[in-house]
Amino acid sequence: MSYNKIVIGKPGTEKFFLGNEAIVRGALESGIDVYTYYPGTPSSEVGEAFMETFKKVGMKWVESSINEKVAMEVAGAAYARGASAMVGMKNVGLNVASDPLFALVTTHPKNKNSALVILVADDPQQHSSAVEMDSRNYLKLFKIPALEPSNPQECLEFTKRAFEISRELKLPVIIRTVTMVSHARSNVIIGKIKQSEIQDDFDLSKEANVASRLYFLKLKEDQIYIRMNRALEMSENSSINKIENENVKNDYELGIITSGVSYSYVREALDFLELKIPILKIGFINPLPAQKIAKFLEHLQQVFVVEENDGYIETQVLAIAQKIGLKVKIHGKDPFAYSKEDSLLPFVGELNPTKIAHALIKITNITPKFDLNLIEGKDYELLGRIPRLCPGCPHRTTGFAIKQATAKIKSKTRKKIYFYQDIGCYTLLAYPPLSFANVKYCMGSSIALAQGVAQINGSLNIAIIGDGTFFHSGISALLNGIYNKAPILVLILDNGWIGMTGQQPHPGSDTRYYKEGFFKQAIKLVEFLQGTGALVSVITHQKSVEQEYETKLEDLIYEKGLDVLENKNLQVIVVRDECIQKIIKRYKPEVRSVNMELCTNCGLCYNQFLCPAIIEKDDSAYIKSTLCLGCGICEEICPNDAIKREDL
Amino acid sequence: MIFDNYTIVMTGIGGQGLISLLQILGDVLMKNGYKVTTAETHGLSQRGGRVVCFLRFGSMLTAPIPLIGTADIIIATEKSCILEVLKYSKPDKSTKLVISTYEEKLINVEYPSEKYLFNVLHENSNNIYLIPATNIAEKLVKNPKTANIVILGYIVRFLPLNEKELENSLIQKFSENILSINLNVFKEGLKLK
Ligand SMILES: Cc1ncc(C[n+]2csc(CCOP(=O)(O)OP(=O)(O)O)c2C)c(N)n1
Ligand code: SF4
Ligand code: SF4
Repeated sequence: MSYNKIVIGKPGTEKFFLGNEAIVRGALESGIDVYTYYPGTPSSEVGEAFMETFKKVGMKWVESSINEKVAMEVAGAAYARGASAMVGMKNVGLNVASDPLFALVTTHPKNKNSALVILVADDPQQHSSAVEMDSRNYLKLFKIPALEPSNPQECLEFTKRAFEISRELKLPVIIRTVTMVSHARSNVIIGKIKQSEIQDDFDLSKEANVASRLYFLKLKEDQIYIRMNRALEMSENSSINKIENENVKNDYELGIITSGVSYSYVREALDFLELKIPILKIGFINPLPAQKIAKFLEHLQQVFVVEENDGYIETQVLAIAQKIGLKVKIHGKDPFAYSKEDSLLPFVGELNPTKIAHALIKITNITPKFDLNLIEGKDYELLGRIPRLCPGCPHRTTGFAIKQATAKIKSKTRKKIYFYQDIGCYTLLAYPPLSFANVKYCMGSSIALAQGVAQINGSLNIAIIGDGTFFHSGISALLNGIYNKAPILVLILDNGWIGMTGQQPHPGSDTRYYKEGFFKQAIKLVEFLQGTGALVSVITHQKSVEQEYETKLEDLIYEKGLDVLENKNLQVIVVRDECIQKIIKRYKPEVRSVNMELCTNCGLCYNQFLCPAIIEKDDSAYIKSTLCLGCGICEEICPNDAIKREDL
Repeated sequence: MIFDNYTIVMTGIGGQGLISLLQILGDVLMKNGYKVTTAETHGLSQRGGRVVCFLRFGSMLTAPIPLIGTADIIIATEKSCILEVLKYSKPDKSTKLVISTYEEKLINVEYPSEKYLFNVLHENSNNIYLIPATNIAEKLVKNPKTANIVILGYIVRFLPLNEKELENSLIQKFSENILSINLNVFKEGLKLK
């Protein structure tokens, strides 16, 4: 798929590309050798496309790494070694990868072909993230050049530009996108794919690459005063920091500074208000072109800085205006006020043309074509639709079993039970009716969170973590718990894949039956756990072999939970039940149906078990055959034996 | 009718095939020389959350998200979902509302009444088209998942596209085993009054 879509095509032709696909194409047009990544929305499609195409296009190496830190290190070393490398992650992934990046960015590879581009995809409005985070704040900390595209065409062009800058300066360059750029689709004109130019000479001389005490300060000076200084020069002269309507006069003596997708919203809002004013669109977001900004400000009485989330550009514009002694009024979010009243734009959430139009109306007092407030004042009865686990998802069964088992433990021991959730599809168990989340932070934290409470009181503390997340960053917390004898119950929900972001493989994935199969070797999770000396139990859901799987799982959780409370042991239960979205690629679903004669309409299956394929219809449970994926658990839990395979 | 800066808003429930609609339409429009921008805003959409997407086309690229009050067509593949996006309908009530009659009810939550929906829709538009897309898909090919293609067939009449081009694009998009049912419902959508 990806190959035909992204790789094939004559230079100059037009493609209908997702922002992420355009990034892949841009990298291929830059002679990329290596891509490493850790999946995370909205960045995952880039990795998946490289995974599918890399052998055919002759790249040296592509991997879906165990976590972002490792991805950064693998790509970083390839960069030092002379590769044109790229590493991709979502917003919070950069937190995980930040430690090596801090040193990496000071190093100074000597190979001509060395280039490193870092894709960071932010997610304002947290469409699919646990937190909203503006990763641009890292740019000042790392002192790293960064580009921000505003649409798919720019995704392609800026990726190419990023490779060129990195190759020239020997600094990694960040490409920062947001959901509305990575997941926007539009016309993209493609260029020519370039073959890799990696050479075999290899310079790992210490001065160039080792960030140790002996060399670090010298390298840091070189990074800031030489390489970033040149980056600044590039930013000042770059055509991707461009001024539109430069000499257009307007009554308000107003101009706009913006970047990324906000630029397109600005254009939309200005059209609506029939306003034509100068716009400085910044594509090179670090270092900012301070002189260009100063010159832009000189002709204005007021400027409006439009950006999503934090006032990253605005604080710098304020500083630049102060430095050159300009009295220009700067509108935006007043980043020093931390006040909703003082800001024209929000710190929180995505922007859109409507929000910008509102702000512009406040600044200019223009009467718009129609009253936006009137539209927004209308209030409709919206149905709150909570996302649900897929029909047949293994986590539903586990959640159901945990609920039953912990209710029994509670009534027997009268102890409090707390749950620590992690990040993955099972996070949805945090919603009613199960409501399993007492505390949840970020990927890999559940096991340590459970320890923090278990070590100080006598409650039962249960960590619920997926296999992908366990490999990503749960391992060290588990080792910590074993070493410190933390009395906790750890449930590893081993569905075999990184389900949430699209069923990508992780180091424990058994890829034999799937297209990923040909170059991966799975790590044996259970043997690994046994090797740590922990008390490990395993339960496996085998299709149509295992009877009463749910009851067995319930009993196991009950037994091990009591053991944690009574004997202060750390217990690990591995629940092995494959992600149904993967299974259906191998097996035809054994669809279930309800026998209406036997069904008493108790509602257990559609009210408590909550499979989305089951609804209430004509005073009976009813299974929508096109939604059922055939896990068979409803058949097992039905107290009236009313559910059976459809074909029987 | 000029098709410039033309905006279609689509909403429905994750899994109803909205993204496919965006891709099919966008691709064909691009081949017809338009600049097209689509955007998907969804969370964990594949699992029953509400989805809102935009498709915009004309002589220039636009922002992925439109201004409220400016949509030309709003499509809802689940009836109550329309409420979330009515703010995009034009104040002059000229926006076409294409709404599937399919209702996905929630447990223990009251579904908006017929009367309420009727009033609200008429407050916002003079062009309301209620389409029994899911019924048609179920009856004709026994597959409610093709309801999105019924709608695709239906909206062709509003767009500067011809059916042959869309048909070709369906042929390219769908694998052989599901192609004929999709073509079937597409034609049914074309014919609908
Ligand atoms: C640091 C970080 N990287 C990536 C992500 C994106 N992400 C969300 S959940 C998830 C993994 C889920 O895998 P697993 O724990 O196996 O649970 P499953 O979804 O399969 O149930 C990932 C990678 C993230 N939230 N944080
Ligand atoms: S077998 Fe039952 S629980 Fe499983 S997907 Fe089908 S209806 Fe849902
Ligand atoms: S993708 Fe897999 S793990 Fe995630 S909800 Fe669906 S079946 Fe469950």
